[in-house]
Amino acid sequence: MKGDMYFASASDEEILKRGEYGGAVTALLKFALESKVVDAVLGVRKRSGNNRYDGVLDLITDPEEVKECAGSLHCAPVNIARNIKEYLDGAKQMKIAVPCKPCDARAIVEIAKRKQIDRDNVLLVGLNCTGTLSPVSAKEMLISEYEVEPGDVVMEDIDEVDGTWKLTVTLSDGTKKEKDLEELEQKGYGRRENCRRCDVNIPRMADIACGKWGVKEGEKQSFIEVCSDTGTEFMDKAVESDAIKVEKPGGDTIAERKKKDEDAIELANKCKEEYLKELREMSLEDRLAYWMRYFDRCIKCFGCRDACPICYCKKCYLEPDRGYVPGGEVPPDRLFPFTRLAHVADSCVNCGQCQDACPAEIPLTRLYTMLNDELSPMFEYVPGMDVEAVPPLIAAKEEEETLIDDINLFLAKGGEGE
Amino acid sequence: MGEEEREIKTDGFEPKIIGFTCNWCTYAAADLAGTSRMKYPANIRLIRLMCSSRVDPLFVLKTLLRGADGVFIGGCHPGECHYITGNLYARRRYSMTKKLLETAGIDPRRVRMEWISAAEGLKFAATMKGFIEEIKELGPGPFNPAGTKKEVKE
Ligand SMILES: Cc1cc2nc3c(=O)[nH]c(=O)nc-3n(C[C@H](O)[C@H](O)[C@H](O)COP(=O)(O)OP(=O)(O)OC[C@H]3O[C@@H](n4cnc5c(N)ncnc54)[C@H](O)[C@@H]3O)c2cc1C
Ligand code: FES
Repeated sequence: MKGDMYFASASDEEILKRGEYGGAVTALLKFALESKVVDAVLGVRKRSGNNRYDGVLDLITDPEEVKECAGSLHCAPVNIARNIKEYLDGAKQMKIAVPCKPCDARAIVEIAKRKQIDRDNVLLVGLNCTGTLSPVSAKEMLISEYEVEPGDVVMEDIDEVDGTWKLTVTLSDGTKKEKDLEELEQKGYGRRENCRRCDVNIPRMADIACGKWGVKEGEKQSFIEVCSDTGTEFMDKAVESDAIKVEKPGGDTIAERKKKDEDAIELANKCKEEYLKELREMSLEDRLAYWMRYFDRCIKCFGCRDACPICYCKKCYLEPDRGYVPGGEVPPDRLFPFTRLAHVADSCVNCGQCQDACPAEIPLTRLYTMLNDELSPMFEYVPGMDVEAVPPLIAAKEEEETLIDDINLFLAKGGEGE
Repeated sequence: MGEEEREIKTDGFEPKIIGFTCNWCTYAAADLAGTSRMKYPANIRLIRLMCSSRVDPLFVLKTLLRGADGVFIGGCHPGECHYITGNLYARRRYSMTKKLLETAGIDPRRVRMEWISAAEGLKFAATMKGFIEEIKELGPGPFNPAGTKKEVKE
């Protein structure tokens, strides 16, 4: 049933050993393939050897190969949703099981609403997440702050220890080194900027949500919450076929998981507050100048558009033939960044892919989230949470017609603004 | 950017305002205002559309980025749109656009939407008067070359 919770681990000894926290996810993905619940698994794995900084997506049809994906790569923010849409025909031709972080799942939900991914054909195996790191800056950080050889790291972990957030790395010989996450981030290391602000840690928009929170230290298990009817059916089958072993978690562990989530949300809010304060308090003139300075760095590579998982126009408005942005100009006409902003205004899931892709390092996600934060209370809509919720710009309700003449109906519900 | 870098010419400033008006209501109201010889300042240029829902937020952005000082959108009152719900979508997009401008640093007061039916010639004239006054107070738009001594980009 939706809302059911389990402690789970792989029944297979090898997967149990290779998995990050008991291998339940790997076992479930393998089972999905074997039992023909899906045609393929889209896993995230190291491209080669122990290179944890070069994560790639792998479309797998051989159940044995799923094992190669075991483990959590914290320095591999791969673009799952966009790849499904772009290269797998939006999963319209085949059923795919996808392990995904909350932002991946939200992007999939949001683009599914625009009919560019078939939500019924993707089995979303959600992973809890408190953030990922950019591979290059992670390696720098490991060398300069941790004084370890990046290639020697076998595991990363972000967690709260006695009220402070730590980023812990485990080396091949088993030693652990931990550092204060917020201090690292003050220095420009640590998680990607968008992750610091992200307050969705448990992907309940997926079919199941898996993570280590709630599991006792040292136990080889993951905590799984069932989040949909599809998830329920799938979990029941997997348990019945003995792909995974499950236990019922006690009330204390459920509470502990909840507490971790709340603390992570608190950290996100604090980061958001800190990082956006300056911009929020700026005068309009200064704010415009701030963004114009960034926009003028644009080399019009289209990277942000091409990386955006929810960019949905079939014929892009940024192309010269659409009559908005003239061709052959660098930096492009300002309608370029403004069009991008308008087109993700109500749907941005703060995944950070645009910002990762930007060679000019324009903090695009910062701009998009700031707008999205204004719109969410206005339209009572949070992107990517519910596939049934209609995007607010195409969702006029009946009562808006018959009862309400107020032109400022929505604006009145927004934040205080200026 | 500080005050000193941007000189705003307010005296003698005649704002340029573009109005996107629905064929069935606000455009007709403007007509009525005209034929009834009601006075309103000539700062506004109207573009007639078949429905307020035709106003893509990009129209508003393009208009401002190309130097207009203000943008007006006129549509039928809720319940009276020729296409039933077009104006409701327009209101949602308008609300989004205002927030978008504010987030990027453009004064959202430069964009105004109003419901004005074909019979409301008086309301049209009054709305224009009020809006033009407000834009005069705000001064030239951030992308109006006449309003900036220095280019915004520094
Ligand atoms: C970046 C990241 C951060 C996490 N943070 C938390 C947390 O804060 N709290 C918490 O409770 N749990 C967190 N988890 C989940 C946890 O680490 C385990 O993935 C989960 O408990 C399942 O364990 P397992 O042994 O069953 O997984 P495994 O059997 O080891 O399978 C892991 C699966 O994750 C996929 N994967 C690996 N890296 C990525 C990636 N970068 N993006 C998408 N998929 C990936 C692999 O393809 C594989 O299928 C995080 C996971 C990731 C990937
Ligand atoms: S017809 Fe006038 S607003 Fe739609």
